Amino acid sequence: MKQLLLGTATAGLLALSPLASATTIELQRFFGACEAEYGNNTDVSAAVGECGIITSLVNKFEADNPDIDVNVTTVEWPGYDQLNAQLASRSAPDVVSMHYSAISDYQSRGLLVPLDKLLKDQNIKPSDFTEAGISSVTKEDGIYALPFDNWTMLFHVNNNLMRQAGLLKKDGTPILPTSREELFSQGKQFQEATGKPYLIQVSANETASFARMFYTLMMQQNSTFFDDPRKIDLTGEDAKKTLTFMKDMLNVTAKNLDYAAAVSGFSSGDAGISVNGTWLIGSYDNQSKESNNALSGGYSVYPIPQFFDKKDVTYTDGHGWAVPRGKRSDEKMAAIGKLFKFFYDNNYQWARTGHLPVVKAVINSEQFKSLPHRSDIAKIAKTGQALPSAVLRQFAIQDILGEELSSAVNGDKSIDDALKTAQYRVNDLLENI
Amino acid sequence: MKAFNYSPEHLTSNRRLFWIAAVLGVIMMAPVAWIIGLSLKDNAELLRGTEAVFNMPYTLVNYANILESSSVFGWFMNSMIVAVGQTFGVLLLSSLAGYAFARLEFPFRKTLFIIVLFGLAVPEQAVIIARHQMFNWFDLHNTHIGLILPNLSSAFGVFLMTQFFRAIPKEIDEAAMLDNTSTFRIFWKVLLPLTLPAQATLGIFTFLQAWNDYWWPLISATKSDMYTLTIGIASSQTNFAQSEGLGFLGAQAVFASLPVVIVYIFFQRHIVTAVSGGAVK
Repeated sequence: MKQLLLGTATAGLLALSPLASATTIELQRFFGACEAEYGNNTDVSAAVGECGIITSLVNKFEADNPDIDVNVTTVEWPGYDQLNAQLASRSAPDVVSMHYSAISDYQSRGLLVPLDKLLKDQNIKPSDFTEAGISSVTKEDGIYALPFDNWTMLFHVNNNLMRQAGLLKKDGTPILPTSREELFSQGKQFQEATGKPYLIQVSANETASFARMFYTLMMQQNSTFFDDPRKIDLTGEDAKKTLTFMKDMLNVTAKNLDYAAAVSGFSSGDAGISVNGTWLIGSYDNQSKESNNALSGGYSVYPIPQFFDKKDVTYTDGHGWAVPRGKRSDEKMAAIGKLFKFFYDNNYQWARTGHLPVVKAVINSEQFKSLPHRSDIAKIAKTGQALPSAVLRQFAIQDILGEELSSAVNGDKSIDDALKTAQYRVNDLLENI
Repeated sequence: MKAFNYSPEHLTSNRRLFWIAAVLGVIMMAPVAWIIGLSLKDNAELLRGTEAVFNMPYTLVNYANILESSSVFGWFMNSMIVAVGQTFGVLLLSSLAGYAFARLEFPFRKTLFIIVLFGLAVPEQAVIIARHQMFNWFDLHNTHIGLILPNLSSAFGVFLMTQFFRAIPKEIDEAAMLDNTSTFRIFWKVLLPLTLPAQATLGIFTFLQAWNDYWWPLISATKSDMYTLTIGIASSQTNFAQSEGLGFLGAQAVFASLPVVIVYIFFQRHIVTAVSGGAVK
């Protein structure tokens, strides 16, 4: 009798427990771990930073959906070695964070689930997203990831130093170059007035920033360097003009800085303009609100100016959420759909990281525009452009290009030699896929 | 040629040598001191310039952030299980193989020994895909065994132990045989205790290698509760941690290296002997 009672009670408890029928979503992401600070936080608006916001978003989703359990695995950025291993051993997670530039590599091998139906079931339309967002996740007429953000390189400006150099307008906004010639003349003016370099950017031990700048400048010339997605063409005048300009920029740039030194150099007032990514807006803005530092009350940020007059464009990449191929029940796919709808609905919260939102309604909202500096960079949602989606191995191409471009910029190779070698190495890579 | 005397007494008695050793010591310790300094500073302060390391205030918040993560002790235990398991496994297998190659007569002994030595020339990268696939067939990924097994076959270990067993006079075996001792008892009771210096050397190197291993755990332990400490702390780094989380990175580096430092403190005599090649003399 006692056993019967115990058994009945246990069965009853199990039936009442939300975990008993919970659907578990295995979510794998980068952005770090911050369990100590945000492990139990469900107030997303109180969270800051990539890690804090994504952790709080997942917590909030779980709290709102007690029938769904999201099991988060954090991986070291960018996490593709682990994902490849998981795909090889058929143990891939249900949802994975993925750069737009990596999607083609997986989609082209049939390793990602098309999401058109899943998004449609959640009443999410492709037209809800910005062009920069949706075009990056659309491959061969299918959508292969939920767009989450766009990021790009920007001009972070120290207005205090710009004022000293006479490069600040009456309304307190900086005078930025509108052409290559103006960049050099303003750079000279800045250096003479302040004794400091005009620009600060990563020039040592990193290659990605060179490649990103190169893409932007090539796109501004309407270049067709990836007309054929299986072959890069760097033989044109456009490539030579771009690299020559990048090399000349060094005359007004702080030299031999790695990523950390470039970031802290701008932060401590060593240069007027930092060429770096969207992700630094929050840190620099916070610093500008404090007193007694180089950015106090004097920070602004803008898209990279249009140095070539053919097209107003900036190279962008971004983060999305993809679903690797695997057997999943309808219930699990529905749960993933709910999670994606939640991410979509909270795109504003993610935009607080500094990344650009990809949901049109968010980017047009007063709430987003009222975030510091966002209205100054919002146009990137329209002018942002990724590499053609059919180009494979974009991460590896970025490394190769960056290595060769930095060799030319730093004077270790001639411009012609660097472009020739870069073209050979990239095409060799693409031919052997 | 007269061997150089590295003893502290000799160094301190020679003023010039002492200062050279002191300068080299400072150069060697500078990066360590730098990392410890970074770990004791607030991340936001370091973002503005790492020279903040030299100024007050200092904080333990980065260490608190590591310790407050509920996963970190699990990762620590995983690393400990894998490193200890691998160390004992390598010692056992290498000793058995070393004894066999050094003392026993069996067909193709020399050929097999050469094949084992070839293992020294095969880089892990060459076998990683096949190994990953094989472990997948046996469903060994995300298990402790899956993390321990691949490094149990240590070509270096077999070579080291074979050389050491060869250096022990055969008369010792013969004396034991006269007492009618079995082959296994000769190995276990007579010869193995004589190989302790080599065991210590091999054990320390194996432990350090297992503790610091990154690549195999990265692709085999893909579930966060099976991460080793190296993978776990790397996964908890935020993007751009090298600028925005420098203090946290420093604290992670100090935390992860503590067990290795402890191993060094306890076994430094054996490590110095091993590095200077004394173990195989």
